[in-house]
Amino acid sequence: MEGIKKQALETGRNRLLVAGMVITIAFAGIAGRLTDLAVISGGFEKRIGKVASAEISASGRADIVDRNGVLLATSLPTVSLHADPTLVIDAEEVARKVAHVLPNARTKILMRKLSSNGRFVWLARNLTPKQHHRINSLGLPGISFQSGERRVYPHGPLVSHVLGLTDVDGNGVAGLENSFDGDLRASDRPLRTSIDVRVQSILRDELIASMNEYKAIGAAGLVMDVNNGEILAMVSLPDYDPNKPSRMSFDAVFNRAAKGVYEMGSTFKLFTAAMALDSGVVDIGGGYDASKPIRISRFAISDYHAKNRWLSVPEIILHSSNIGAAKMALDVGGKTQKDYLQRFGLLHPAALEIPEVGSPLLPDAWRLISTMTISYGHGISVSPVQLASGVSALVNGGLYHPPTLLGRLNPQAAGHRGRPAHRVISKETSNQLRGLMRLVVRHGTGRRANVRGYVVGGKTGTAEKSSKHGYSTSAKLSSFVGAFPMNAPQYVVFAVLDEPIGNKNTFNYATGGWVVAPAVGRIIERMAPMVGIPPQLGQEMTTPKISTLDTLAKNKNSAVTRGTSGKRRKVFNQPEQGHAKVAEKPKWADIIARAVAVHLHHQTESEASLVLRARAVLGRAVLARKQHRKLLSTAVSLVE
Amino acid sequence: MREDSLNPPSFTLLQKLIHIRWIFVLLVIAVAFIGVAMLFSAANGNFQPWASRHLARLGVGIGVMLCIALVDIRIWLKFAYLFYGFSLILLILVEVMGFIGMGAQRWLDLGYFNLQPSEIMKITLVLALARYFHGMGMEDIDRPTRLLIPLVMVGIPTVLILRQPDLGTAIMLVMASGGLFFVAGVRLWKFGALAVLGLALMPVSWQFLHSYQKRRIMTFLNPESDPLGAGYHIIQSKIALGSGGVSGRGFMQGTQGHLRFLPEMQTDFIFTMLAEEFGMIGALGLISLYILLLVYGFAIAMRSHSHFGRLVGMGVTVTFFLYVFINIAMVMGLIPVVGVPLPLISYGGTAMMTLLIGFGLLMGVWVHRDVVIGRRGGDRA
Repeated sequence: MEGIKKQALETGRNRLLVAGMVITIAFAGIAGRLTDLAVISGGFEKRIGKVASAEISASGRADIVDRNGVLLATSLPTVSLHADPTLVIDAEEVARKVAHVLPNARTKILMRKLSSNGRFVWLARNLTPKQHHRINSLGLPGISFQSGERRVYPHGPLVSHVLGLTDVDGNGVAGLENSFDGDLRASDRPLRTSIDVRVQSILRDELIASMNEYKAIGAAGLVMDVNNGEILAMVSLPDYDPNKPSRMSFDAVFNRAAKGVYEMGSTFKLFTAAMALDSGVVDIGGGYDASKPIRISRFAISDYHAKNRWLSVPEIILHSSNIGAAKMALDVGGKTQKDYLQRFGLLHPAALEIPEVGSPLLPDAWRLISTMTISYGHGISVSPVQLASGVSALVNGGLYHPPTLLGRLNPQAAGHRGRPAHRVISKETSNQLRGLMRLVVRHGTGRRANVRGYVVGGKTGTAEKSSKHGYSTSAKLSSFVGAFPMNAPQYVVFAVLDEPIGNKNTFNYATGGWVVAPAVGRIIERMAPMVGIPPQLGQEMTTPKISTLDTLAKNKNSAVTRGTSGKRRKVFNQPEQGHAKVAEKPKWADIIARAVAVHLHHQTESEASLVLRARAVLGRAVLARKQHRKLLSTAVSLVE
Repeated sequence: MREDSLNPPSFTLLQKLIHIRWIFVLLVIAVAFIGVAMLFSAANGNFQPWASRHLARLGVGIGVMLCIALVDIRIWLKFAYLFYGFSLILLILVEVMGFIGMGAQRWLDLGYFNLQPSEIMKITLVLALARYFHGMGMEDIDRPTRLLIPLVMVGIPTVLILRQPDLGTAIMLVMASGGLFFVAGVRLWKFGALAVLGLALMPVSWQFLHSYQKRRIMTFLNPESDPLGAGYHIIQSKIALGSGGVSGRGFMQGTQGHLRFLPEMQTDFIFTMLAEEFGMIGALGLISLYILLLVYGFAIAMRSHSHFGRLVGMGVTVTFFLYVFINIAMVMGLIPVVGVPLPLISYGGTAMMTLLIGFGLLMGVWVHRDVVIGRRGGDRA
């Protein structure tokens, strides 16, 4: 007994050792494979992709594909069932038999149709091949088939607002289906769009997530190639499934990205800064007095993130100062402002290849107050497409490319056929704007859009929605427009949430910087590797110095003073000594400015232009110190 | 000390605590903390939602493990069949009333948490088989009829788990049992016969596989045949391993995981994240820690005086090995994709509990290594 037991123990031990060896070998295998993958064979993806060829379409209406040839819309041949009631012998029998084959058909309805007096009634549309065969083999007289085709959108709602849809008879009724209805019917070649379905999917994904998180009633977004105006992705939420047209609601059909026009708010300050810098009324080191709200008749322009002191141009953008932007716009002047906005494509409907394009809402008369409010994005409503195209021109070196949903090389692209790119601002100004946008993401209101490995720039926008009863403070339109990589911009990403509600994660803020900027950051993070821009850690660009008031004081030549209403008002944040100095130095300039401000209360069109001229002269006067007095006296006389 | 070990029942709880292999416990905690770091990274630098809960489970699990280690090993022997029967009932309950998650019916809803009885079965089957072979002499092992009962003991839960369907767990169950049969002394030719039978049955069993399982095997043979479908995970994880290179991209810098090329990376594919962020060196380091734990397991099994202790130690060690091996080999594309988590690192409560309970038993085997157990659980044979 002992012996057997000993032997058993021995066997057990030996076998344990064998098992241990097997395991060792297994691990050696794993380690070998690991070394092979990590070091020797490297991690390269095989460059193969099986994209079903969409080049040849068997049936009538041409396909629509994305920029990489992925099928977005296609037509499948189907048959539909109809009958000639006069030839039907027994309506009840036919109805019963047909209803048996078609699960959605009701015997009663079929019977009513079959016993009508006409010579033609539709019984069912788009039968499956199996249903076709079964009804055919019923051998019923009086009923026959009509071959036709059915439009199918493989991606469902993903590209709905771009593609639009067709009605039961195959007529395009919205989107590209409508604009290119004739071409799609005539041609066999697929219509190639500029959409990249991968980017589209990321954009929609993130917008839906943000919309749900902040309980917004709608959202829209765009990704645009800044160097040619091609739209890679355009999403409007809520959207619809073009395969199921019967379930669409009006709200879902409305294209918020192209048709909807909105007061965009602070994102407009970028345009204001661009025109001010480009026309030379201020340079990047200059600044404005934002210590007190501007009061004009019954309006008051104040700052959301009030600093109550002088702000340099970078600071105006960084802290999104309405006062600063308004003063900048006053310096530029209404006519010049209008001219620039025109060239940024903000005053006319976008030349997009879909019928759903919204016309911007502009002030009836371009008064001084309009100039001031438009400078920070109120009193003017534009569509997201217009805004994205304008921002593209800001960052791409100053050229405006009309937006397009078709590839640049596509001969059908309307924007490129009709209007070539034109210059809006100088390359130099564009460079400065890039720097400003980068600053906003590095240090300003857009910090949550920053993405590791990418130089992202942008600007937040939070507009109060206007209604019949004036502006609402609770209903907001929060947006963020971003571009990357800022050292050589390639794409603009714009996203907007309609009436978002802040939650605990955003400390109840529902501003663009809190609720939209993070989404744009995530979109950039996910799309960049797909469009071939790998992350590079540690790269940065040179941005304009954020000159605070101390530096302004040294550089006072470029500092332009602005007075307020003249009454002494208690300033909440007493400016520091340095600030006070700046405000003091050009004393008489301040006096004139006050005079100007008084005039602002009741002015006519001509008076306004006079004031503006005075201001322009004033600005130049401070810049060129030598001829101070002479120029200033001219200015005074002009105002008088 | 030696006298004490010859007379083990006189061990006090304190003495037992001292006898626990604390280095082993520290190794387990170290590996689990790597898991916490990886889950922290997987959530883009957040403790929520995974890392914090992983940590909490580890705390509870270590407590359970120590408690189990202190329980007299003869108690486990005594109740081995009872535990086995209990988990078998749970498995049948899953079949009858379990709820379905992600296309498989594997869980029992117990109100506070969801229980996966197939995981419990991994431990209780080891206990039951160890008791059976312990009670059987070497002379009996050669009688084929005596092998019938343990084969049925393995067969019933395997079939039940295959029906869920959960191929990974079923394979682990069969392989761990195979290991126990082997160590118990079953003749080698019988394994050979079984292997031949298995190969012969392969074309037949192919018919019974689910279409997704077939697809996975086909994809394994050629992942590039379907780069965006079933082959997606494997290709992306291979890219991640290559992208990590020798020294890795650095903590929280991995692109495959953070850019969401790898969905659900906190579970079965977490090894690829580790390999990308810490490179080949980090991956080999983790494997070394696992090997160290396995060596401890083997040493404990070898050292055990009782047949039961040795078999339990072996069963737990083999189960642990299978977790590690199947998971790592799977993410590197050496074997087809089966859902097996990376032990102590992947996010998931039941697998961690199973392992820590198993390790508790292993510790118990060590603490009671010199306890002499009779055939029927008494002090003497």
